[in-house]
Amino acid sequence: MNDRAPLALSVEDLTVAYHSKPAIWDIDLGVPEGVLMAIVGPNGAGKSTLIKAVLNLIPRAAGTVSFYGSPYEQARSLVGYVPQRGSVDWDFPTSVLDVVTMGLYGKLGWLRRPRRKERDLALFALEQVGLLDLVDRQISQLSGGQQQRTFLARALVQDAQIYFMDEPFAAVDAITERAIVKILHQLKERGKTVLVVHHDLQTVEDYFDWVTLLNVEVVASGPAAEVFTPENLQKTYGGRVSYLHDGQVLAAGD
Amino acid sequence: MMVLERWLIELLLTFVARDEINAFLRSPQNTATIIGCLIAVSGALLGTFLLLRGMALTSDAISHTVLLGIVVAFLLMTDVFGMAGDTSSPWLILGASLAGVGTVVLTELLYRSGLLRQDAALGLAFPLLFAIAVILVSRFAEDVHLDEDAVLVGEIGLAWANTNSHCFENCATVTINPDHPQAKMTRQCRNCRELGISPRDDGAEFVEICSNCGSYSPAQAWQAGYLQKEPLLVFFPKSITVTLIMTVLSLLFVLVFYKELKLTTFDAALAKALGFRPGVMNYALMILVSLVAVGAFDAVGSILVIAFFIIPPAAAYLLSDRLAIMLLLGPLIGAVGAFFGYDLARGKFFGIIEVGAVIAGLNRISGLDLLEEWDSSISASMVLMIFAIFLLAWVLSPRYGLISTLIRRANQSRRFDDQVVLAHIHNHQFTDRHLTELRVKTLHIHFRWTARKTGRVLARLRALGLVAVVDGFAELTARGETQVHAFRNAMFEARNIPDID
Repeated sequence: MNDRAPLALSVEDLTVAYHSKPAIWDIDLGVPEGVLMAIVGPNGAGKSTLIKAVLNLIPRAAGTVSFYGSPYEQARSLVGYVPQRGSVDWDFPTSVLDVVTMGLYGKLGWLRRPRRKERDLALFALEQVGLLDLVDRQISQLSGGQQQRTFLARALVQDAQIYFMDEPFAAVDAITERAIVKILHQLKERGKTVLVVHHDLQTVEDYFDWVTLLNVEVVASGPAAEVFTPENLQKTYGGRVSYLHDGQVLAAGD
Repeated sequence: MMVLERWLIELLLTFVARDEINAFLRSPQNTATIIGCLIAVSGALLGTFLLLRGMALTSDAISHTVLLGIVVAFLLMTDVFGMAGDTSSPWLILGASLAGVGTVVLTELLYRSGLLRQDAALGLAFPLLFAIAVILVSRFAEDVHLDEDAVLVGEIGLAWANTNSHCFENCATVTINPDHPQAKMTRQCRNCRELGISPRDDGAEFVEICSNCGSYSPAQAWQAGYLQKEPLLVFFPKSITVTLIMTVLSLLFVLVFYKELKLTTFDAALAKALGFRPGVMNYALMILVSLVAVGAFDAVGSILVIAFFIIPPAAAYLLSDRLAIMLLLGPLIGAVGAFFGYDLARGKFFGIIEVGAVIAGLNRISGLDLLEEWDSSISASMVLMIFAIFLLAWVLSPRYGLISTLIRRANQSRRFDDQVVLAHIHNHQFTDRHLTELRVKTLHIHFRWTARKTGRVLARLRALGLVAVVDGFAELTARGETQVHAFRNAMFEARNIPDID
């Protein structure tokens, strides 16, 4: 890699512990600007923990994180976050449009109310994810895929430079999956950096150009073509090769 | 507080005469209803967020532990600082809100230890603090008005009697000193007790004592007969002021921080990522809940106040799926319940049915001898009325109510039955097995339904013109064929959401 390319995200010596048991251990990670990166690893590898710690949502035991050279507090407006779908109560009395508008609250700051301009931005984001017909729908009436796209629209509306998505592909229909991939690529074309916690090893190389293999520690990180190899996967998943689909992974190693 | 009351009364005086205000507030019903409605409004506003945060029980905990704050502040005031004990003093309110926040902090600490679950931590923290409060009350505060009844249900019916007086005209404050013509001077023996002698005995020394010296507020002076002209007084119940302040604070909090409350309630992680402070919002909410609980303490006690927090938002939640509308409906439901609750306590149900008459009827029918005179706790009756409204919402809510849910399920199951039969005919007609599969007489065997149910569904489908029976065999009509295609397509489309391009 060209060392002079700006790092969108730089993580140094990051450790997070739950009850003094490390969930992620001494993570060093440099993510260049403009990549679509999959964070891959077995259950309990600390993938979500990594994202949450990077975004200051959980306390760090050690380490520093910087976005374009700045700590999170100063880089907030550069960062967009798509949490796991199950992290909120979908019976909350609110509409799709309202949830998407929440993505703009950070820019509005304390006390300022969303107005016509914010509404238009939210509608535009909903158009991009194909939910324009459902803007006034109560969110409990959405399918899983529609919920995920609502979250995606909420992140898009933030107009960030670097996006963190926690399992956006979990339990969504094929059409939503294609829609999300399409949006990921649009983001990349616009020079955004996207980090995605991903589970499906079969699609890693199709969807992403950068991969971080994680199992409490970083096993490997870099361009998908170099990093996503059977050896590295073996190291990441240990004996649990049942995760792997031989043909697919071997083909990747060729 | 006095300033606020005075300002409020002056505002009122521009609309109504002084006598009318006094007459209005002297009615126990009016004062109780106003206080009940104010508690209901402030409770429902904050309760909406408690409910949506899954913290309904936190209001329970807080309302109990504010008692500890009240007692500790009361004891500090009276025993340590020597002030007069007054349950609507700002110090008590401060103490109570600290105790409320203390409960939340204690619960969080227990929970964060990782050794207890959240509900267990809560269930542990508040009885502990409540028990301490009860012991303090029984040990040190026996003679104050913090008795168990007041703690349980409050004294909203007596709120009218506990007033501040405000004077608007002829407001002479009277100071009586020994030179005053109306001073009552008596002679008192100065050394009788010391020497064990009677005042008649020799050697008794006397001092002149003024028995009524001191300063009198206009209200006191008029009552004692020291004023020639009657001062124009307005008596304002203290509880109204306290609950009004709590309502205004709650309203301001929800209006000003509506966006922040919504975000931190719905998605605390995003709120944090966007630079808001979910923790701060949470504690602000808890402080206000404590304030409302202590403001309501005099009126409805520490247990029934929970109902004012939780039931109206729960009813509103069934009636609306927009937060803003919930925030309008909740207080409305609470206020209506409080309003009719007073009537219920006095024996009238929604102003229509006389409870006494109903009991009399029951007595006649059953031969029981129940007391026909109906006069019960006002605060408890208010809670009952609020619950009655919740019950109405639960049964009748157009979208989430019991009845509409039952109807919807019945419709769905009927439609499903229709589709099962239509699809069966569609799949088997024009096949070589249609003779066995589609014979009307044996059709029910294939579905494992009763013959009656099959007959009913078939009759419905024939009436709708979707199925015809020819020579004892069922077949689809042209319309039936279209219908099958329609629902099959709809079924597949349900999985396909509009594609993106």
